[in-house]
Amino acid sequence: MYKWFFAWRYLHTKLIALFGVASVTLCVAMVLVVLSVMGGFLDTVRERSRGLHSEIVLSGRSMQGFPFYEEFEGYLAEHLPHVVRATTPEIYSYGIFRVKDTPFTKMCQVMGIRLQDYVKVNDFGNGLNYDHYYPGTTHLGLQQMPVAAFSDVDTFLLPKDYMEANARWRNRETDPQKIDAFDRRPFQPAMYPFQTVPVPGERVFVLDSSTPRYEGTERYGVIVGSDLLFQRNAAGKFERDLARGAEVVVAVLPISATGNPMGEPPVKIPLRYADDSRTGIYEIDNVSVYVDFDMLQKRLAMDPQPLVDGSMTPQRANQLMIGLQPGVDLYEAKEVIAAAWDTFCDSLRLTKLDESLIAEADVLTWEDLQRPFINAVEKEKVLVTFLFSLISVVAIVLLGCIFYMIVEKKTRDIGTLKALGASARGVASIFISYAFVIGIVGSILGTIVGCLFVWNINTIQDWLAALHPQLRVWSPDVYSFDKIPEVVKSVDALCVGSIAVVSSIVGSLIPSYLASRVWPVQALRYE
Amino acid sequence: MLLRAKNIFKTYTLGRSEVRVLRGASMKADKGEFLVVLGASGSGKSTLLHLLGALDVPDQGVVEFDGQNVTTMPTRRRDTYRNAQVGFIFQFYHLLPEFNVLENVLMARMISQSGLSWLKVRRTAIREAAEILERVGLSERAKHRPRELSGGERQRVAIARALINNPAILLADEPTGNLDAKIGEEILRLLTAFNEAGQTIVMVTHDLHVASRAHRRLELKGGVLHPYRESDGTAFASLHPTEEVAR
Repeated sequence: MYKWFFAWRYLHTKLIALFGVASVTLCVAMVLVVLSVMGGFLDTVRERSRGLHSEIVLSGRSMQGFPFYEEFEGYLAEHLPHVVRATTPEIYSYGIFRVKDTPFTKMCQVMGIRLQDYVKVNDFGNGLNYDHYYPGTTHLGLQQMPVAAFSDVDTFLLPKDYMEANARWRNRETDPQKIDAFDRRPFQPAMYPFQTVPVPGERVFVLDSSTPRYEGTERYGVIVGSDLLFQRNAAGKFERDLARGAEVVVAVLPISATGNPMGEPPVKIPLRYADDSRTGIYEIDNVSVYVDFDMLQKRLAMDPQPLVDGSMTPQRANQLMIGLQPGVDLYEAKEVIAAAWDTFCDSLRLTKLDESLIAEADVLTWEDLQRPFINAVEKEKVLVTFLFSLISVVAIVLLGCIFYMIVEKKTRDIGTLKALGASARGVASIFISYAFVIGIVGSILGTIVGCLFVWNINTIQDWLAALHPQLRVWSPDVYSFDKIPEVVKSVDALCVGSIAVVSSIVGSLIPSYLASRVWPVQALRYE
Repeated sequence: MLLRAKNIFKTYTLGRSEVRVLRGASMKADKGEFLVVLGASGSGKSTLLHLLGALDVPDQGVVEFDGQNVTTMPTRRRDTYRNAQVGFIFQFYHLLPEFNVLENVLMARMISQSGLSWLKVRRTAIREAAEILERVGLSERAKHRPRELSGGERQRVAIARALINNPAILLADEPTGNLDAKIGEEILRLLTAFNEAGQTIVMVTHDLHVASRAHRRLELKGGVLHPYRESDGTAFASLHPTEEVAR
């Protein structure tokens, strides 16, 4: 009991103890902030990676894709309706994205999707910008450019289906503040014919006359990754400077089933900017454009092609997205679907080429697909946490020094205690208990400081940025996320706090041992 | 016979030279006795006291308490012996500066109890400590820190602390050595009173006046204990043990 009595009394009578508490507090706060921000970063990446794909993906490893995906969709619907909820094929290729009549060009990954089905198997639909305020108006089929007009009451009018879609959003939206914000700035008008770059805004429509209408040649729609096309302002909002329905061009290179490029010049596909999407992962949003699956399949010559013998090659896709029924275990489903794919393939009469393409197709979970990316962030988290923990070792050394100084200063008291009957172990326990109390107090304070810092990290950053723009450390136009993650997990706080307490005790071990070895006769003569 | 030292030898190493402090010292103290060991400064009085209180072990010889060999006891038992059977009073008080008077007095009792058992005996211990403080005339000072007390008061706290566990023997090392004559006299009166109440006291001093209170006086000279004879002198000059050995 006297050990705790000593520990507690030393804690609030010795100024030097405050330095110990301060070092533990700072270390705990520092590691907790790093762990929370990196953990939040990782969780966001994981969550958004999950939203990119369906739960299960039948994925071809080669760019020429694999055949019989449609037949397999039918097979799944027939044999595994209790496991599979929805399926949709996907094609991916690489190309050059260009905004017509501008010098803007960029390399891109072209994804061929069936939008109506695609949004059923992942979160893609939630990241669409225009479709959010005008639900149902975004599609990848043939379309013209919507042209807005002034109404008599000095507001804008859009074509009828846009107005109806917006009314649906209003009815659905529960937050009146969002409706107010929309009404204050329904969209940014771009003058028509637009020879100048429109003033950037959240939504940009061409504004012309008193009659809202559709105009221009019918083109297939394209959904563009937000970061590919637009810059973000300091507040993290995209500055859209392209009117909806504007013409863009994507150039792709078709590849035959054998993997050889087909045709002399690359295929140029004129498209209309239908929407922009945001998955929340910069590396994806910076390169992806989404076009109609069937159109892209034809343009890439992945549709049935005639052979010399008069037969046709089967159509190909690069991936088959498979959404699961609610409650179905991901890993069990993977096993079942993989087995189904094998059975399905065995039932086919395959040419050598088809067989080789099918052999390239694997059944994967969304985690398998994103593993390299998630692993990279995980490693980054471990590395940063490790580095900061290493810095925290300084605190252990500091505590060791502090305790050594205390033991030196208290040598005579140690002698007195031994004269009063305290054992060597008891004397050591005083200093270990003292370290424990310092660790506990430091951990509690550090957790409070760390939590307050993380919870207000964006406010702190805004404040720093207000002092000087160079002090902004998290730039939304660089990172995928608008805000620095500001959630502290209780398990992280508990782990960091516990490790800090153990570290404090470790730091005190050598001085405690030295204290226990103090020779009482010498100690009592110590001046 | 309560306490006995038989043929004690103790040598210290000071730098490169060895200092033979005790060279076959023997003594005994009976229950209720007030025994004084006289000797010059550096003659080994404190060393003898430390050996009697099991703060140190002799190189040779035996210390017996109540018939038990203290020298060969395991460390834990020696700790318990110091805690339960011995009360130390030091010349420089050795009070713990972070604790108040009451807490200083209670410390030896706290050391003897484990966490839970202390909670059980806490009230009784505080009452007993308050009683002892009253006996030494410090009940008003219970909440004061040592630095707020005079030298005499500090020594009285040290006496109270030494008595809290009702030890069989009080070992006092020059208890008046750091006090002026008047205060020293008060402390002596206090110790005499405790002795008259049955407390065994072994005190070491170089002060003949202080020694006059004792039932029996021994003189430590040349590392050996002799009965003190009045005719030997009136005072003990400071003598460093190295000089003594060299002589």
